[in-house]
Amino acid sequence: MAIPEYERLTWAVVHCRGVLHTAHGANLVRTLATAGMVAGKESYYYMRYDDSPERDNVPMIFYAVMGDPKVDVVLHEEVEPVGKLFDAVVVMDSSLLLHRTSQRALILDGTKEDAVLVVNTSLPPERVLEIVGERQLAHDWRGSLVNIRARTYDPEIAYPLLGALAKAWNGIRIEDIIGALELLGKGEKASVVEEAYRDAEPIRVFLRAGERALGRLELPEARGWWDLETYRAYQAAAAGARTYEERMMAMPRWEVLAPGLIEFGPTPGEKNIGFTTSFERYLRPKVDKGKCTDCKLCYHYCPDGAMGFEAIVDLNYCTGCGICAEVCPVKAITMVGEWEAEKGLREEELLTIEEALREYMY
Amino acid sequence: MSAVTARPVQTLIPKTKIWTGTRAIAEAVKIADVDVIAAYPIRPYTGVMNELARMISDGEFSAEIIVADSEHSQFEIAKHASAVGARTFVGSSGVGLLYAAEAITVTALAQLPVVALAGCRALDDPGNFGMEWNDTLVFRDFGWLVSWAKDAQEALDMTLVAYRVSEDRRVLLPHFVAVDGAAITHIASPVTPPDERIEGFLPPYKPPYPLDPEYGPVTKAQHIAPSLIGPEQRKVVDASMKRSREVIEEAWRDFSRRVERSYPPFLESAYMDDAELAIVTMGAYTKDAVYVAKKLRGRGERVGVVRLRYWRPYPAQELRESLEDVKGIAVLDFSYSFGSPDMGGAFYNELRAALCEASQKPLILDFLFAGGREPNVGHFEKAVEITKRAVKRGRPDRLVYWLTLRGEDI
Repeated sequence: MAIPEYERLTWAVVHCRGVLHTAHGANLVRTLATAGMVAGKESYYYMRYDDSPERDNVPMIFYAVMGDPKVDVVLHEEVEPVGKLFDAVVVMDSSLLLHRTSQRALILDGTKEDAVLVVNTSLPPERVLEIVGERQLAHDWRGSLVNIRARTYDPEIAYPLLGALAKAWNGIRIEDIIGALELLGKGEKASVVEEAYRDAEPIRVFLRAGERALGRLELPEARGWWDLETYRAYQAAAAGARTYEERMMAMPRWEVLAPGLIEFGPTPGEKNIGFTTSFERYLRPKVDKGKCTDCKLCYHYCPDGAMGFEAIVDLNYCTGCGICAEVCPVKAITMVGEWEAEKGLREEELLTIEEALREYMY
Repeated sequence: MSAVTARPVQTLIPKTKIWTGTRAIAEAVKIADVDVIAAYPIRPYTGVMNELARMISDGEFSAEIIVADSEHSQFEIAKHASAVGARTFVGSSGVGLLYAAEAITVTALAQLPVVALAGCRALDDPGNFGMEWNDTLVFRDFGWLVSWAKDAQEALDMTLVAYRVSEDRRVLLPHFVAVDGAAITHIASPVTPPDERIEGFLPPYKPPYPLDPEYGPVTKAQHIAPSLIGPEQRKVVDASMKRSREVIEEAWRDFSRRVERSYPPFLESAYMDDAELAIVTMGAYTKDAVYVAKKLRGRGERVGVVRLRYWRPYPAQELRESLEDVKGIAVLDFSYSFGSPDMGGAFYNELRAALCEASQKPLILDFLFAGGREPNVGHFEKAVEITKRAVKRGRPDRLVYWLTLRGEDI
């Protein structure tokens, strides 16, 4: 359902990971909104309230919203379903491109067709485009992409990303970003922004979405009273939804809910498809069977029950927390980047927890 | 690429900040120079306590910040600190606020001017932190003043005014500043903090009888035999609540003189002059409601918006006057009350009760946004449309609508 009031505003969205990036993401949208104010626009920024900024590595989203002085800014927090909004998308960790977002939506869901995508990565642009085309398109994308290795400029990655964003996107001017930095007492970051702006090389992109399953969910009629079979059908549809709109369609009508808000668990031997966690993971454990002494420590310590009795990882439930690798007495388990595990590519631009900033906002 | 030249800062807007509601409220607490802050994390109050902790650790101001073991202890700490003469700040939301209910009730009966943030959060359902008003509305009966902010700017201003009103000797009642969770607390929006003209607005807190031996021995909120002093004690609170009206008016008049904003004390209205239909609501979504009214005005429809700034004391007379000539009212209601009169929300039924004494009785329809799912401007337009149709026909099909519901609205 597209609503013009929201579509005519200027939106930037930042995808990042809880704790690791919370303060970096906030810095980025804060500076962007302040730059919008400097440019004379009514500006706002916020985090998505559904997300969990205090939980390690969980994907989370920040927004900056700007309205032209002649445009009424109406606020809406849960924005994905109300139209093609986002002009600019910043991704702070490229492994976010491998999975759906915290809202189980696609990164390029809810974007305008000419959206600018900025990715903090050491991967070449063609690999980023490949994965976006494969996993993240909700509709055609005729915009531009800029990859930048933010940490090589500054450990506070928001600022180089802003420089790259300003280069690729005409929605904000670099002069206004520099003005905003001064207002925010971050004047020393101006040279970082300028340097990244100078180096960034946006490329034009045209990707076709092709056949999408949009709006073709087959859901049973609600019969006016709940039953397990109908509930399970909705559960399966929600787990398989590809876009935000599909996910909303697949959430149960009230008639489908059992009294007491029961989420039905799986029958023994089956998975609970409503509770998979792969989107939380940027690392995954790799078990070296040659070294493994079958001591079962990893099995007992795994907080999510994702480590099997035979030290086989269930990737549907592994959050990549690393506890198994930590407790393994013979170091048979190592944590491997998601890109490396899935595509054989090394991502160098991952922050460590030491590089996360202290965050007061939430 | 050509060299980048920064614009000189003087040409920017130095006074305006982009602050979240939590930051804005923390700034108000700093300006009020609060002595004791009681903290226990729950979204959205967590944001305020984090900001305050940062300010204190950065040396921006000094206060005792006490992290409690639960919401109940948190409100007890504020209550007792206030009794010995400290200016206090506390806050919570959702079921946390309800857990503290015993302490909250006694704070009012002991007439201690604690100021608390009520962060309007859904009563869980585990994990639901959407915005609903019920967590705050359940405290409507106990003697707390309750004001409702529409944005971060007003949240800052209301917090300051809350201290002034609460601590006034004609009032001496605690004060909830209610802010809609997420929509105000977590969206950073333009805020202009008060300048030096604010000095003197808030005199130091001097309780008439502090619980402090230096001022002579007193007992507060002592045990009573109800037959001896029951109704009289209630009447003292009742009288304070009645007197708070004039204090609120004075405080906002003085405050408006000191900032470049003017606030009507109890009701804010937009496009109400010749309105036939009125949207009545509180809080953050007023902005969207006013936008909808403006849009519909553009099509020649006489729609206005009325917003309650105070829930306690309830501005009944102002509402009757303001809604005198309207034929239909669409209530944008974020509170439910299962089994209530006509199954409407708590906000709706209280409005109906107030208008029962009005000379003209408009049609009043409840648009219930329960469960924390966010409505958008489309829902508000639909609410006006439904109300307009009901007025045209002279009777409503039904009184209560759940516009954001998935499934049949039975």
